[in-house]
Amino acid sequence: MTNRRNRLLAAPLLALLGLLTFAGPASASEETIGSCVVKKLDHLIEESHGDIDVVRHELHEEDVQDDFEACVEAPSPILPETNEIIWGGSAFLILFVLMVKKGFPAVRGAMDARAEKIRSDLDAAEQARLDAQSVQSDYEARLADAKAEASRLIDEARVAADQLKGDLAARAETDIAELRERAAAGLESERAQAIADLRAEVAGIALGAAERVVHSSLDSEVQGRLIDAYIDEVSGTDG
Amino acid sequence: MADPRVAGYAEALFFVAAAEDDLSVVEDELFRVAQALRSDDDLGSTLADRALPMARRLQVVEDLLGGRASAVTTALVSMVVGAGRSAELPAIVDAMLERSAASRNKAVATVRSAVDLTADQRERLAAAINTRTGREVEVRVVIDPSVLGGVVTEIGDDIIDGSVRRRLNQLRESFR
Repeated sequence: MTNRRNRLLAAPLLALLGLLTFAGPASASEETIGSCVVKKLDHLIEESHGDIDVVRHELHEEDVQDDFEACVEAPSPILPETNEIIWGGSAFLILFVLMVKKGFPAVRGAMDARAEKIRSDLDAAEQARLDAQSVQSDYEARLADAKAEASRLIDEARVAADQLKGDLAARAETDIAELRERAAAGLESERAQAIADLRAEVAGIALGAAERVVHSSLDSEVQGRLIDAYIDEVSGTDG
Repeated sequence: MADPRVAGYAEALFFVAAAEDDLSVVEDELFRVAQALRSDDDLGSTLADRALPMARRLQVVEDLLGGRASAVTTALVSMVVGAGRSAELPAIVDAMLERSAASRNKAVATVRSAVDLTADQRERLAAAINTRTGREVEVRVVIDPSVLGGVVTEIGDDIIDGSVRRRLNQLRESFR
């Protein structure tokens, strides 16, 4: 801010310096060299009363020559004419006052507004950066949570897979044992059924043979004894 | 005796036989007719066949009993068959025999045997049943070859099985 103010003050000073530097000589603006010489020469002729010889003689005088040389001397390269200084200084002062009263506050207001805008932009950028950091932190936290959740899920899945594997293995072993038991029971059942069938067949054969033997041995005498034995059994006298 | 119709026919047969003063003969003949109907399905179905004219069925009765049974027995069987109750004739005869025995304060003991019992065996068996059950019985013998040997006695719902068939069945069960 201070730098800008210095620049603002330097501007009119430089203008004043240029004005002083490049201002022309006052004589240059009023009479030329020729008119100065003519004027000096008329003045010399007038002093000599028109006598050419006296004029010539005077011209060889050192002071007269200095006087003529003064006509050809260049104006001061630094100091302007007084009226130019007055006009230029007045203009400068007016301009300076205008600049101080109007331009500088406007420029300073614009600069302040711009500085405020830049500050607010910087604040907004800082806030945005903070927000971005917050979002990033939140994102990183979520990412960490997601990674932790994924890791937990993977662990759970691994545990479940191990448990399922164990269960399946146990079930397979149980099924195999049941199949073995069932097969053994089936074999035992078939064996028992075969034995029962064989026994029934043998019994049928034996009973058929016994029935035939009994039938052939049941003559009238045996029938009579059987009936007598029955009567004794019914009466309770068979001992 | 649950069927009143059977009881009614049994009462009728009993009174007719008693009125003819030929009761024991008629009872024996009716008993044999009933056993014949139980053992011969063709005879039973023929007498119960409503497709046959009644005269034809009565003619079968006449051919079966004519000359071999008393006229009273033949008439009573013809009456039952003519009434269309030939299917119930065995039950009617059983009820009639029980009714007749009851009139003498006795029960009927149906004895199944492979051979017929002698008169002595019948008397001893009746005495033995009396000793065992305390009831006076009249023994009716049914020749049943399936009994093989021994005797099966049925008195009402009571059965005293002393047959060789039962022994063989017990032996068969013991093999299982």
